[in-house]
Amino acid sequence: MTGDAKLIVQGLSHHYPDEYTGESVHALQDINLQIHDNEFVTIVGPSGCGKTTFLNIIAGLLPYREGRAMVDGVEIKGPGPDRGVVFQEHAILPWRTVNRNIGHGLELRKVPKAEREKRVQEYIDLVGLSGFEERYPHELSGGMKQRVAVARTLCADPVIMLMDEPFAAVDAQTRITLQDELNRVVMATRRTILFITHSVEEAAFLGDRCIVFSRRPGQIKTEIKIDIPREERLWKDMVNNPKFTDARDEILSLVRSEVTNDDNS
Amino acid sequence: MTTVDVAPHRRKSLRKTITDSRAIQLVILLIGVLVLWAIISATIDRPDRYLPSPLTTLFSSVDLLEKGVLISFYTDTLTRLVIGSAVGIALGIPFGLLLGLNRNIADMFYPLMNFFQSVSGIAIFPVIVIWFGNSNTTVMIVILYTSFFPIAFNVLSGVRSVPMRYISAARTLGASRFQIIKDVLLPGAMPSVAIGSRLSIGFAWRAVIAGEMLAGQAGLGNMIFAGQELDNTAQILLGMMLIGLTWIMLDHYLLRPLESDTIERWGLVQK
Ligand SMILES: Nc1ncnc2c1ncn2[C@@H]1O[C@H](COP(=O)(O)OP(=O)(O)O)[C@@H](O)[C@H]1O
Ligand SMILES: [Mg+2]
Repeated sequence: MTGDAKLIVQGLSHHYPDEYTGESVHALQDINLQIHDNEFVTIVGPSGCGKTTFLNIIAGLLPYREGRAMVDGVEIKGPGPDRGVVFQEHAILPWRTVNRNIGHGLELRKVPKAEREKRVQEYIDLVGLSGFEERYPHELSGGMKQRVAVARTLCADPVIMLMDEPFAAVDAQTRITLQDELNRVVMATRRTILFITHSVEEAAFLGDRCIVFSRRPGQIKTEIKIDIPREERLWKDMVNNPKFTDARDEILSLVRSEVTNDDNS
Repeated sequence: MTTVDVAPHRRKSLRKTITDSRAIQLVILLIGVLVLWAIISATIDRPDRYLPSPLTTLFSSVDLLEKGVLISFYTDTLTRLVIGSAVGIALGIPFGLLLGLNRNIADMFYPLMNFFQSVSGIAIFPVIVIWFGNSNTTVMIVILYTSFFPIAFNVLSGVRSVPMRYISAARTLGASRFQIIKDVLLPGAMPSVAIGSRLSIGFAWRAVIAGEMLAGQAGLGNMIFAGQELDNTAQILLGMMLIGLTWIMLDHYLLRPLESDTIERWGLVQK
């Protein structure tokens, strides 16, 4: 099944060196994972368990020495436009308008202006930002900023999208809207996504597969398949869908046992 | 979501209203100062020596204008200021950028920069005079020297203070090192470029006045000190007025618009 695997991770561990004490922080332990074309995989785990570390390694922002990680069969050696990242804190550039933020990836690749504008407009419409093209980020609400960040990543057309708790900083009501919208966007554009969250509900709602991390050092504890077609994943229906509620409860008890362990230790 | 509902044209007219009311405030302030000045001048003994009235000061300008020297003093000084600080800033920005980008180079140059930063333009003046004489070159070098460090230091810290997540975001979009400098670090350092430029031009303004006096070069600085020797207090006050008012104009017509089109527009500073 490695044929259509977009991301392959084998035996990946990570230690952060501590320059002051000489000790190291053991952040990840022996992660093995494959993500296939058009799969939506969520990773959930207690805070501080190494989720961001894992994503940063895949993004190429953090060098790794223990284990292997490949995208489209190519060893990860640094960041690249084949892996698009949506960060937790919105990282869209304050000095670029919505338009120019979304088109930034294409601009860096020197895509001709006419084609760029056409593509940007498509994604602006897709994420519902029409009318805000010429606005600067500080003029937008938190939810709109994350829509820009998502559109920017989509527009650069990566092989795999990496999302690190992208909706954690917005209010609960906006979060639900953004989650529904993300499903719609995924249906419309067919994407391969690795989505990190500490919210069990979010992990079960979005993921085709949900991977539960143990507490630090992060290891894969279990993997849970959530076999619900994308088009049925709307919050108003999901709350009554036993497949969703069962998966959510199972993940919740797994995560909870990790947090409880943590308290005892 | 309320901020985004304001249409662009409405925002513009709002900004215009603010500038209008600012202009009115400025006029009121100026009139107040002039009136106070006139009152003090009218109540003291020998106002011509200690504080000539605003009108006397104005008449002294007519006098100097008729002789044709005021305009040439003024343009001499302004030319020195503009060229000296423009060159200082033009050299200081890339130097600060280089130091901001490369930790090794920064560590190497930092003690040297600190050293020269503390040795003010006036302190280097004598040695520059020994090298270049009492000349225009001497004044220009002092202005350039004075304006270089504030901008270089500010750009250095500005580049370093650009949040890491913006750099990471650009890298994951495929930006090269050069593209990161152009699209992320330079605009991100703009608030510091603005602060640094303001400081540089402010310091250059002081250096030009002191430099002209010390090197005996014709200009506003010289005019003020000549006023003292000639016992012409009105001429001194006139020079002071011109210096201060020119700074207000520079600020209003050059620095402020630059800031409001960039860092204010981007929401990087409070309006
Ligand atoms: N740059 C770093 N240097 C040292 N330790 C770090 C660094 N970044 C994260 N850590 C540590 O590694 C562990 C995992 O962090 P992180 O991956 O951010 O967790 P999560 O995203 O799951 O909350 C934490 O204990 C954290 O303190
Ligand atoms: Mg994290």
